Amino acid sequence: MMDELKTSSQNEHTLIMMPSGRRGQIPEGMSLLDAAESMGVQIESICGGRQTCGKCHVLVEEGYYDKHGIRSLPGHLSSPPGEETQLLEEMEIPDQRLACAARVHGDLLITVPEESRAQKQIIRKTASERIIEVDPAVRKYYVEVEAAQLGKHRGDWGRLQDALEDQWGLTGLEIDLHVLRNIQPVLREKDWKVTATLWDEQRVIDLEPGYQEGVYGLAVDVGSTTVASYLTDLRTGELLAAASQMNPQVSFGEDLMSRVSFAMNRSDGLQKMNDVIIKTINTLAGQAAREAGIRARDIQEIVLVGNTTMMHLLLGINPRELGGAPFALANQEALNIPTRELGLRLHPGANAYIPPAEAGHVGADNIGVLIAEEPQGKKGATLTVDIGTNAEIVLTSADRMLSASSPTGPAFEGGQISAGMRAAPGAIERVRIDPETKFPRFQVIGEEKWSDHWNLNKDASLEEQPQHLASGICGSGIIEVVAELFLSGILAPNGRFNPQISTDHMQWDEEQRQGAYILAGAEQTSSGKPLLVTQEDIRNIQLAKAALYAGAKLLMKRSGVKSIDQIILAGAFGSYINPRQAMILGLIPDCDLDQVYAVGNAAGDGARIMLLNREKRREAERLAGEIRYIETAVDQNFQEEFVRAIHIPHQSDEFPHLKGLLPTQIEPLPPARKRRHRRTK
Amino acid sequence: MIEEINLKEMNDEEILELMQEDLYDGYQEEIIEEVRELLNREMTAYDILTNGLVAGMDIVGVDFRDGILFVPEVLMSAKAMKGGMKILRPLLAESDAPKQGTVVIGTVKGDIHDIGKNLVAMMLEGAGFEVINIGINNDVDSYLEAIEEHQPDILGMSALLTTTMPYMRTVINTLKDQGLRNDLNVLVGGAPLNDAFAEDIEADAYCRDAAVAVDTAKKFMKIKQGS
Repeated sequence: MMDELKTSSQNEHTLIMMPSGRRGQIPEGMSLLDAAESMGVQIESICGGRQTCGKCHVLVEEGYYDKHGIRSLPGHLSSPPGEETQLLEEMEIPDQRLACAARVHGDLLITVPEESRAQKQIIRKTASERIIEVDPAVRKYYVEVEAAQLGKHRGDWGRLQDALEDQWGLTGLEIDLHVLRNIQPVLREKDWKVTATLWDEQRVIDLEPGYQEGVYGLAVDVGSTTVASYLTDLRTGELLAAASQMNPQVSFGEDLMSRVSFAMNRSDGLQKMNDVIIKTINTLAGQAAREAGIRARDIQEIVLVGNTTMMHLLLGINPRELGGAPFALANQEALNIPTRELGLRLHPGANAYIPPAEAGHVGADNIGVLIAEEPQGKKGATLTVDIGTNAEIVLTSADRMLSASSPTGPAFEGGQISAGMRAAPGAIERVRIDPETKFPRFQVIGEEKWSDHWNLNKDASLEEQPQHLASGICGSGIIEVVAELFLSGILAPNGRFNPQISTDHMQWDEEQRQGAYILAGAEQTSSGKPLLVTQEDIRNIQLAKAALYAGAKLLMKRSGVKSIDQIILAGAFGSYINPRQAMILGLIPDCDLDQVYAVGNAAGDGARIMLLNREKRREAERLAGEIRYIETAVDQNFQEEFVRAIHIPHQSDEFPHLKGLLPTQIEPLPPARKRRHRRTK
Repeated sequence: MIEEINLKEMNDEEILELMQEDLYDGYQEEIIEEVRELLNREMTAYDILTNGLVAGMDIVGVDFRDGILFVPEVLMSAKAMKGGMKILRPLLAESDAPKQGTVVIGTVKGDIHDIGKNLVAMMLEGAGFEVINIGINNDVDSYLEAIEEHQPDILGMSALLTTTMPYMRTVINTLKDQGLRNDLNVLVGGAPLNDAFAEDIEADAYCRDAAVAVDTAKKFMKIKQGS
């Protein structure tokens, strides 16, 4: 096993494709394009491998990758033919390779850039329209400046200041050097009539001749998986365009801690991760600007939210200290930084605002969620949960705000689950199991019809056949399948498959000890093999959900809150969770199901709100100071709470709001071991 | 009809068997009762431990490994075991009964997660080891102190974070520098680890879960006692 990881034989090599993380053994000499296809990674190609379209360009990662146990080198690919080199140079990506031309001669870690993917990742983060009072930091002021005259020895900047004071009451102003450099021709171009752009009523960041309109800002949620950006008209508050992309840092580590490790262990690790994220934001800014018919240069402010590690990497600060207790932040306060210094190519005078963080691993993104959802203003007890590899939990009640971060692990993102995958076409996202027959039906992303309506007849017309077969199961599907298995009695409350349930959809080993549920039959999957939910998968989900529940429960205990009045599920994943199934699983505590809201990318919405309204930034700064962060892992009750939450839905907590939904009669599980000496217990 | 269990009417073998079943089901009071009964019959503490408790926890370990039992059930069994051990421990200390071995176990510096490690500690106790659980966030000095004080056969280290696991290397290197490494078997575990990492830092073994940890610890003790 280990040798296989470390060395590649002469006939076969290990190939890992990022960002999907798929891994395969590839025969010597196969082209990267074919190899990718054999692994189910689809790369764009229009010319069919003739090295003319250039669509299949990919990046070879160089170095030893601990996590994957391979050494990846550009030399592990056949050297590029002349046409390829020429084409790549024309495309200004000389460091990349064309997958159709390159042949595999050694172990490789390959990154497929967003634009080269045939099957684009589905990122369902759409900004919601919400009412926000528009009071941005950046505004334009039209003024008529007194012309220069002989005998009046005041400079042009001085006279612009006079005009801004007389006509707008603005005093104590500063001016950017790049504005000053052009102040004279600009003032004179339209007869001393100009439009000045000011940041926060204190600094002149732009000066244009005549009357001008149009102030634009960008809100960006730097997620560890997805980077989402929203281009907004700062005068009207209108959302002009949204653009998102996968965070390319995924290549350096799937989860946060692997990225922190990458920065700790490689001297160029921080630089690499900083480079790619800045490049991504620049690309997104360009994309959104094009869509709105403006230039990235017209964007005059940007608000960036993200977890603390993302913000460290973005700022070029080594996140080393976040790698271990006591998880000290380099900075917790809100920041205003010239975007130039960050390497962002926006307006030369653009400012970047980064909201404050709460604690080691509760960052500006969580503040964004609170600004967007304002649980602090609601009556009763509100639980706000943002689920990712870590779940950020905030409990707001009458007079207290507590937050915690629970290590749920990658299970809800498809990690540690045998058939787990990200939310992409072909991923099972909805599951229902018939309580009588125990037969499943499911829905995959990219396919409207439920699986029981699929026409799998090879002779059927293409329109009738499903476009995507099941290729795995994503987070929301994982939650649903476990809840459904429990509801149908296949799974006992302690998480064990009940061997007494007889159905064709259970598969057992000879001794009837280890079982697995067949969620999709061979004919329904893209691999042609049945898709299984194993006992180990169930165990991993139990651990993940128990971590979240226990965190929430500890916050409730600390606040003296007995029951929850409202639950807000934030994050891209949260929007696709079925609240009913999540509660049946025991992922979230009992609450009126009508009071459980999925709010989508609330962090991004919060960033937009802070972009549009300066007062909200002050509120964010106040909030960060008021929230008390609880380190749940060191709480002496955490282990006990955690263990009790492993049961489905819970060992002892009641769920009155699930009355009528939970099975009234639970099929008794036969004893795992028969007793010879019976006890009356 | 349910037969009432009357310990007095059962022979020693039957009671040992009953102990294994009660341990499996996590019945602490019953275990205590059975231990007392067998002691009354002048069975040695060592025999009760080996043929009752440890044999019972072996079965628990197998079913945990196979996913049939899970954390809550195993904890119940471990608690029941603890009840029995409370009575047996002082007696074992007085006797010259052979020892299974001593383990010092702790989570490394920077890491504050320890539910998995606590489970390993309990399962090792279940297998008859004397376990000194030194908790979370342990730096080199804290490991060295515990090793000096308890002279263990085995050192167990755990880490839940990719970022904290490299500290295990620091501990192992210090053990080498101080000439302590050869007296100890070092077992490592935790979510982000694997065999390759354990080999790389020159630990003796990586244990993917509590059941494997117990098997591995026993294996090393056998080698040690055999030599």
